[in-house]
Amino acid sequence: MSETLKIELGRRYRFAASHRLHSEHLSAEENARVYGKCNNPFGHGHNYVVEILVSGSVDPATGMIANLADLDAFVEREVIEPFDHKSLNEDVPAFREKVPTTENVCKEIFQRLKHFPKARLERIRVEETSNNAFEYAGEGN
Amino acid sequence: MVYLTRKIEFSASHLYHNPAFSAEENQRIFGKCNNPHGHGHNYTLEVTVAGEPDPATGMVLDLKELKEILEREITQRMDHRFLNYEVPELKGQIPTCENIARVIWNLLEPRIHQGKLHRVRLYETPDLFADCYRNGAKPA
Repeated sequence: MSETLKIELGRRYRFAASHRLHSEHLSAEENARVYGKCNNPFGHGHNYVVEILVSGSVDPATGMIANLADLDAFVEREVIEPFDHKSLNEDVPAFREKVPTTENVCKEIFQRLKHFPKARLERIRVEETSNNAFEYAGEGN
Repeated sequence: MVYLTRKIEFSASHLYHNPAFSAEENQRIFGKCNNPHGHGHNYTLEVTVAGEPDPATGMVLDLKELKEILEREITQRMDHRFLNYEVPELKGQIPTCENIARVIWNLLEPRIHQGKLHRVRLYETPDLFADCYRNGAKPA
């Protein structure tokens, strides 16, 4: 019966970072109109929550899809360490050209985590605040 | 299709230990979870049932009935228990979130006759959970 079931493992992580929403493609007035308070030139910050969902077969010897210590170390190295207490615009190279909206943050985190060798990355959810959440499951999903 | 979710909580203890591994391997693989005296969690279980509301009652299934099934099959079996020693369905398995979610699925699925069990989500802590679906069922 069990082989007909799909098991996924979910894990939540946190980082705090600042960002500024500003597009080089828009005029100062358009930036102010589109991004409002988020266009403040000095930036502002959030406590972000990243929820990741991975799938795979459950190893009968360990009862696990992936060892949490491996998953935690991978996410720490790929996302938390480079993002936590940083300015996303200044400190994360991907956001020198792309606006660090949480949509783009979500996609960037997916790109960074999709190579996790021990399980298949299913979906990323990023909560910018407790009222705003974004999800991404890769190209075409 | 409508998806209905009911949530319950239970508290239980467990430990991770595979007798096929050496003491050192158990320690390396399972870390703190290998403490021989066990440790505990407040688990939160979310059970989602999918179905069309019955035109006569407006319900996918009677929540009272789901509440009773969860009380009988899960709370009575797992709440304030040591999962390794007191839950026969977990015998011979490491009681990880993944395995407990699968055991819960297998306990509940045959009991739900109105609608279909769609998802079991078991939180071990607010930051760690496992989802169980029938293969091919699209997550809602």
